[in-house]
Amino acid sequence: MPEAVSDLWRALPNAAQDLALTLLLLAPAAALAALAMRGQAPWPLARALLVRFRWTNLLFAGLMALSVGLGGALLSQERALRQAAARAAGPFDVIVAAPGDEIRALLSTVYLQPAAALPLLGPEALRAIQADPRVSLAAPVAFGDSHAGAPIVGTTAAFLDRLAGPLAEGRAWARHGEAIAGAHAAMTLGETVAPAHGHGDAAEADAHAGESLRIVGRMSPTGGPWDRAILVPIETLWEMHGLAPGHAPERPEQLGPPFDPDYFPGAPAFVLSGERLADAYAIRARHDGEGTMAFFPGATLARLHAVLGDVREAMSLMAVLTQALAAAGVLAGLVALARLFARRFALLRAMGAPRRFVLGVVWLYAASLLGAGCLAGLALGWASAGLVSAALSARTDMAVAASLGWPEIQLAAAAFSAASLLALAPAVAAYRRAPAEDLRAG
Amino acid sequence: MKHERPVPAGTRALAPGDLRIEGLEVRAPDGRTILSVDRLRVPAGGTLGIQGPSGAGKSTLLHAIAGLVPAAAGRILWGETDLAALPEAARDAFRRRSLGMIFQDFLLLEELSPLDNAAVSAAWAPRAERPAIRARAAELLARFGAPTTARNVSALSGGERQRIAAARALARNPAAILADEPTASLDRENADRLVADLLAAARDRGRTVIAVSHDAAMMSAMDRVIQVVDGQVRQ
Repeated sequence: MPEAVSDLWRALPNAAQDLALTLLLLAPAAALAALAMRGQAPWPLARALLVRFRWTNLLFAGLMALSVGLGGALLSQERALRQAAARAAGPFDVIVAAPGDEIRALLSTVYLQPAAALPLLGPEALRAIQADPRVSLAAPVAFGDSHAGAPIVGTTAAFLDRLAGPLAEGRAWARHGEAIAGAHAAMTLGETVAPAHGHGDAAEADAHAGESLRIVGRMSPTGGPWDRAILVPIETLWEMHGLAPGHAPERPEQLGPPFDPDYFPGAPAFVLSGERLADAYAIRARHDGEGTMAFFPGATLARLHAVLGDVREAMSLMAVLTQALAAAGVLAGLVALARLFARRFALLRAMGAPRRFVLGVVWLYAASLLGAGCLAGLALGWASAGLVSAALSARTDMAVAASLGWPEIQLAAAAFSAASLLALAPAVAAYRRAPAEDLRAG
Repeated sequence: MKHERPVPAGTRALAPGDLRIEGLEVRAPDGRTILSVDRLRVPAGGTLGIQGPSGAGKSTLLHAIAGLVPAAAGRILWGETDLAALPEAARDAFRRRSLGMIFQDFLLLEELSPLDNAAVSAAWAPRAERPAIRARAAELLARFGAPTTARNVSALSGGERQRIAAARALARNPAAILADEPTASLDRENADRLVADLLAAARDRGRTVIAVSHDAAMMSAMDRVIQVVDGQVRQ
């Protein structure tokens, strides 16, 4: 691309670029339409063909709609899932965990996925964090228990405030044994729940016998898996596991920082924040060493998405191939159908209609059918996006909100243009027929 | 048109409805001659009936006269225009301008209204001519007593459908009408009515009418009737 054009392109707002690209993708179809319509009016005849075999035509358009709709839904859901995952990781500036696997630490801390227990960070790590002047928020996070499938997470009230802002209802915890329900956790205020050790089928219900948690508040939605969790003061978790309380004995009721390194039993991860972006980089650099591993969850997620980028490309290719196959199937049907119209076209030719007119009628008929299929496919994709998103949200605990965007519209535009080029096949087949033979065929 | 021969100075140009066939041969794809016409003339405004047994070559003759099948040899002169010497696109253009055709099974477009059927040729006419074609089609439908209010033609009787087909053939005011068994699908009353309407519309404007038919009543109304037997014209 010449530099001036390239500069102009970059200067355009995103929406204008998307619109321009969409129009560019539609250009072949528009050019063919202009050729088909120039100096003649084939539409009434094309419409007659559409009406003539309306059910077959509906089936053809439906096939096209299904392929475009499926492709669009697939791509939009994948994008929405990525966005939801990124949104969920947003409040986690820097995660510090024991050296090892960043992805495992990310999945456990941000997405609360049960995994093999992370090694605990001990008093040394706490001291190092407390000694870092750039850290404005340091929240230990601990997990491993659950109730009725909902993970129980121990942390600090300050981090909950950072995660979701003010509570949606109730109040913050004030003492041991009080808990906050995630926005979508199936507990009511005032309910008392019994924690089990572990998750799922492996959860040991009796491991914490005698312990109970009373729900006193509910978080605002975060759009992530924390919405389904039960949040407790981390001191409560330590207490339930018979560990040191995190604070000196003379402060038995203290909840939250500052923690006393001498009584700190350890935590699988810390979430750290600084006041400024530069602080976050400095924090990560300072704590990413021999004893601890520090990473930006967003960056780790981006690397994960980059690896999955190939999958996305494969999905896009499959969507295009599906659409091409559907279009080819429909066009093969249209070639067969066009033979049924042969006498009509022969009549038109006998009346002096130029070959180009017959070509225009058949092309317009096929292109209208495929275009209607593409439009219906977009509508189908849009309608199904909500349903699939709801199912995905339920399975992933993330607020997946897919909607059709420019990529899906452009995919449909490309499919339509390609189909309109392929629509020349039945048109040329009709164009080449000898009218006298078809007139005799009656 | 570049294929039309110039009219020699001092001679009167022949009307476009004047048909002369000289040494015409039409061959099948395998090279076999399926139609041979030594000489045939239909003056402008005249009517010609074509009869003969099935498969004898009547429709082939009509299609050759219309320029729908290429001539292997000879001339098909409509006025000054030799249709046999024209390429396909020019033959299309000639039919568009000068010929109207009617078929045994009407060949109407079932989903269109009577007027849309009668005025179907407007679809490929220049934009400026379209209103006139539609107006003329409406006038012809009224003249032939064909229904005009039906949403489409699928429920109409054979007689009504053929009257619409006749209006369609005349909508562009052609110099000649070519009809292939136009009364074969009609009862006697409707057949007689169609023949009367068609011939009246032809006489009004001095149009030539050439009809292939087994209908003795129709043939009796023609100026002249020829027989086609085994691809040969017997006058």
